[in-house]
Amino acid sequence: MPPRYGKLNTADWAKAAATINGYKTEPWLLKGAQILSINIEIDDDPADNLIPRTMHPSIPSYAIFNVTHYPESPAGAFSIAEVRIAGRTGVRPRGFVLRSFCDSEDARRELGARWGFPVAPAEVKIDLRHDRIVAHVIADGRNALDCELVDRDVIAGNDIQYIASMHLARNKEDGKMVLVQVDPEFVFSKAERGKPRILHLDNNAWGAGDNLRLGNPISATFTVADVTMPKIRYICNPEVPAMQGTTKVAA
Amino acid sequence: MKFGLFYEISVPRPWGRETEKTVYDNCLEQVALADTLGFDQVWAVEHHFLEEYSHCPAPELFLTACAMKTKKMRVGHGIVVCVPEFNHPIKIAERTAVLDILSGGRLEVGTGRSATWTELGGFRASPDETKKTWDEFVHCLPNMWTQERYSYQGRSWSMPQRTIVPKPYQKPHPPLWVAVTSPGTEVDAAERGMGSLGLTFGGFAEQDEKVKRYRKIIRNCTPVGKFVNENVSTVNFLYCHEDDAEGVKIGKRMTGTFNYLASQLLAAREAYPSKSYPSLGLLPALRQDASGPGDASGAPEGIAIGNPARLVRELKKWEACGVDRVNFLLNALESIPQEKVLDSLRIFAKEVMPHFQGASDSAAAAAGGR
Repeated sequence: MPPRYGKLNTADWAKAAATINGYKTEPWLLKGAQILSINIEIDDDPADNLIPRTMHPSIPSYAIFNVTHYPESPAGAFSIAEVRIAGRTGVRPRGFVLRSFCDSEDARRELGARWGFPVAPAEVKIDLRHDRIVAHVIADGRNALDCELVDRDVIAGNDIQYIASMHLARNKEDGKMVLVQVDPEFVFSKAERGKPRILHLDNNAWGAGDNLRLGNPISATFTVADVTMPKIRYICNPEVPAMQGTTKVAA
Repeated sequence: MKFGLFYEISVPRPWGRETEKTVYDNCLEQVALADTLGFDQVWAVEHHFLEEYSHCPAPELFLTACAMKTKKMRVGHGIVVCVPEFNHPIKIAERTAVLDILSGGRLEVGTGRSATWTELGGFRASPDETKKTWDEFVHCLPNMWTQERYSYQGRSWSMPQRTIVPKPYQKPHPPLWVAVTSPGTEVDAAERGMGSLGLTFGGFAEQDEKVKRYRKIIRNCTPVGKFVNENVSTVNFLYCHEDDAEGVKIGKRMTGTFNYLASQLLAAREAYPSKSYPSLGLLPALRQDASGPGDASGAPEGIAIGNPARLVRELKKWEACGVDRVNFLLNALESIPQEKVLDSLRIFAKEVMPHFQGASDSAAAAAGGR
């Protein structure tokens, strides 16, 4: 097998991990979500330090900046922002979530306990403007992320391919650190593509330190979709390759 | 049905200069042997930056070496990327003409447009534009090969009147093909009178439909070239061994390695949503099917790994679908030792080829005729 794989220090990373209440999560249907998603290439070698050993980096490495507003949910309206590092578990594309920020305490509690999102409090906003979609994240009074999609252009929803996320979380039942795969379903009612811009990024706010070095911009999309947060189907041992360390927990 | 070889040229880490050379040497040794065994053609991809998966950025050089080491095999670009950031159309016309001359008129020209952001982004090419530039290039090439003086003012490129020399050895020009990965590209091939260089299959029923559609449409095509190249080619893996279990086991090691390598790359569709890329490219269906559960032996349906009887059975199904040519990937990351690859070719030529009209003629001719 190729020797490239993630080199994340999971022991250090575990300090910010959520505690998940087992794997019997029931789905949530979240209607009318507004999703801004930005893909940017990042420097390959340092990026390997930002994904767990379970994963192989994508070639080239890239980061995904997601900012989403959910106007309704069982926990009420909320907005969430996250930074993911794209990679592969075995042969499947996945995004490892570095950190998430959310503006609702109820949503933070539920997202962490049900799906293992590593969520911290912050002010998260999406502004829809005529020529651009703008997002801001302010955590602990500091600007964590300013990003935008410019030159909005309509595309088809079936051209969009969001990849599933992987969260490092501690299982409340046995205390073990696991990687939880979350693979939402999307039904799009609107889809746009444009140019991506990261106007400000505080690497430390996302736990990335010097390992997240932005490179070639790829694309930005804005969608409106009904999102089903699914049952958890797979978990992985973060210390071994996915081919050996993946467990199915639900059909 | 005719059989050929198909090269991605995957190189395992660490990439010492000897590793790269050994892999290229092994490929050339395979090609030289295949020529004597009656294989009909050898194809090489054009890929850039696809670390481990494919170290084949200059197929015209590899194919020239193949031509020098063979007497009968045709040599094919599988494919040349028709995107101006990758290749200027004048250079494509010139390079292919020279290769056709050096090979004594044995060149096949596959055309395509790249399927990964890894490559498109590397050359700063827009995924939205590639289908348009491909179409423009394939309409230009035959005229560049055949007109004494040529000038062009188009959408993605232009040139004042010049004499493009040399002209190809084959008259009027080499056969043209299109790489077919995205759904519907077989229609593009048929409408232009070009061969369908299939890089996926997605099951016999689907292939059967695609071939029927292709054959129907090509009857009323407006050929881009000076003649219609009505041929359907597909790609497959090959590992043939007298012992079926051993053949399946070693063959699956190759298919698994290939599948793993390909999936680490960044497909255009994953990174850059665009109607221009409705599929993931890079042999996705082949990869999927090669990972399928298969029968009791574990051999996925349609994949040419196992003993000769199994290979005859599977390849007959492709023949029944109307496939004219099958090109084989022989290795991935050198996961199969070179001697075993060569033995696999010998067993295939001796025990599988004779069951196929066209292939057996080639084999007989290679052996001195009968």
